[in-house]
Amino acid sequence: MDASLIAENLSKSFSTLKVLDRWNLKIEKSERIVLLGPSGAGKTSFLKMLSGIDSPSSGSLEVFADKIGFVFQEPRLIPWRTVRENLLFVNEDGKIDAVLEKLRLKGFADYYPGQLSGGMQQRVNLARALLLEPDLLILDEAFSSLDLPVKKSIMEDMLKQWQVKRFTILAVTHDLKEALYMADRIIILSSRPSRIVREFTVDLDSCRTFSSPELLALESQLLDIVFQDDAYGISHLSG
Amino acid sequence: MKTLSRSLTGILIFILIWQIVALLLNKPIIVPSPTETLKTLWRLLADPVIMAAAFQTAWKVFLALGLVLVLGIPAGLLLGLMEGLYDMSRPVIMLIQAVPVISWLSLVLFTWGPSWEGPVLIAFLSLLPMAILTTVSGVRNLDQNLLEMARVYEVDKKKIIKDIYLGSLLPFIIAIIDVSIGHAWKVILVAEYLAGNSGLGRKIYDARYFVAVADMWALTLIAVILGLLTERLIKIGLRRASKKWMPA
Repeated sequence: MDASLIAENLSKSFSTLKVLDRWNLKIEKSERIVLLGPSGAGKTSFLKMLSGIDSPSSGSLEVFADKIGFVFQEPRLIPWRTVRENLLFVNEDGKIDAVLEKLRLKGFADYYPGQLSGGMQQRVNLARALLLEPDLLILDEAFSSLDLPVKKSIMEDMLKQWQVKRFTILAVTHDLKEALYMADRIIILSSRPSRIVREFTVDLDSCRTFSSPELLALESQLLDIVFQDDAYGISHLSG
Repeated sequence: MKTLSRSLTGILIFILIWQIVALLLNKPIIVPSPTETLKTLWRLLADPVIMAAAFQTAWKVFLALGLVLVLGIPAGLLLGLMEGLYDMSRPVIMLIQAVPVISWLSLVLFTWGPSWEGPVLIAFLSLLPMAILTTVSGVRNLDQNLLEMARVYEVDKKKIIKDIYLGSLLPFIIAIIDVSIGHAWKVILVAEYLAGNSGLGRKIYDARYFVAVADMWALTLIAVILGLLTERLIKIGLRRASKKWMPA
């Protein structure tokens, strides 16, 4: 299998503050990876390095992807441009109508972001990333602000696209269920300076449901691991 | 409707006070009665020479405003993007802002004598610093998240300027026009009065020269009405244009 991403002894500091501490990570093409860790564990810093807007302090990070789609936590749509214009902004040659249809946004191309609900705006955020036909799709807590039905519906649509296009997915989340729903492999991070403390393989078939007994069983297992590894630094809080 | 009736009541009370003051003072050379002034206003509104003067003032206002927008916004954009250049230009901008209008008046009188260029240049110079500094603060208040999104997607610089910078600056441009339009009217009228050869300001000067006090006040009323009307129309137009996406 070809690699989509290789990080070797990757560290990142902001002046004296060390955020990432010697990450070693290899992600294969078409894999779905979720980074699970507490706030401030440098997940967003890692994603910024991946997308090329920041660089490592030491170690190396190699990304084998021609096109990277990025789904931000907030929609980051240009308010004075319509949905269509927002998509054209990143890719003038993309198949806009086809992407909008797949993400249930047909008929909204001429709407302004302010005229759409939060969930719809997030769909446009995802549509913008998929329009590039990415090799690597990065999701930075992309669904965290959405209510469960909307979250589930958007994730289903995204995973349908993954079934067809088989791009690599690298997502960051705090939500265990969300992680189990979309990942092949979950990377568990410690609190700052973050280290990769464990990898958790999600042994479920790719057609999952949020409430399946198998997923709920894995959630409880994953919860035990998170507490056991003190990934969220809870022992510090309790003194 | 309620607001309109209240406004009309306010205007009526103002006219009543004016009438009382005019009666008590009984010096039409200082305060002519509202009846006399309104009669003169009616006469002047039908006078093609006065209408031509109003038009001359109006085009000077729009020319000055247009120059301020065309030169001030790109200059502000450039200075907002280049901190070093901004630091260098700031003292000059502050200097232009601090120079009193009378000094500009002297300068334009020496340069052109009474002319149409003088009032336009004075209005332009008195509004330009505000336009530049407002644009600079607009550039500095840009949504960094949008810029980061554009960087992640490796969007072309020209497209970023067109789609993000100019769009983000629109509320600031609206603010510049909001503040400038009323100010431009006043400055142009003063400059026409003191250094112009045409326009309502010049007509007010002539009325003063011939001690036609009612004409002077009637011309002032024409200038005020025109100023408020253009200000209102421009604001309505701008609000309509940006209504769809401007945050409420």
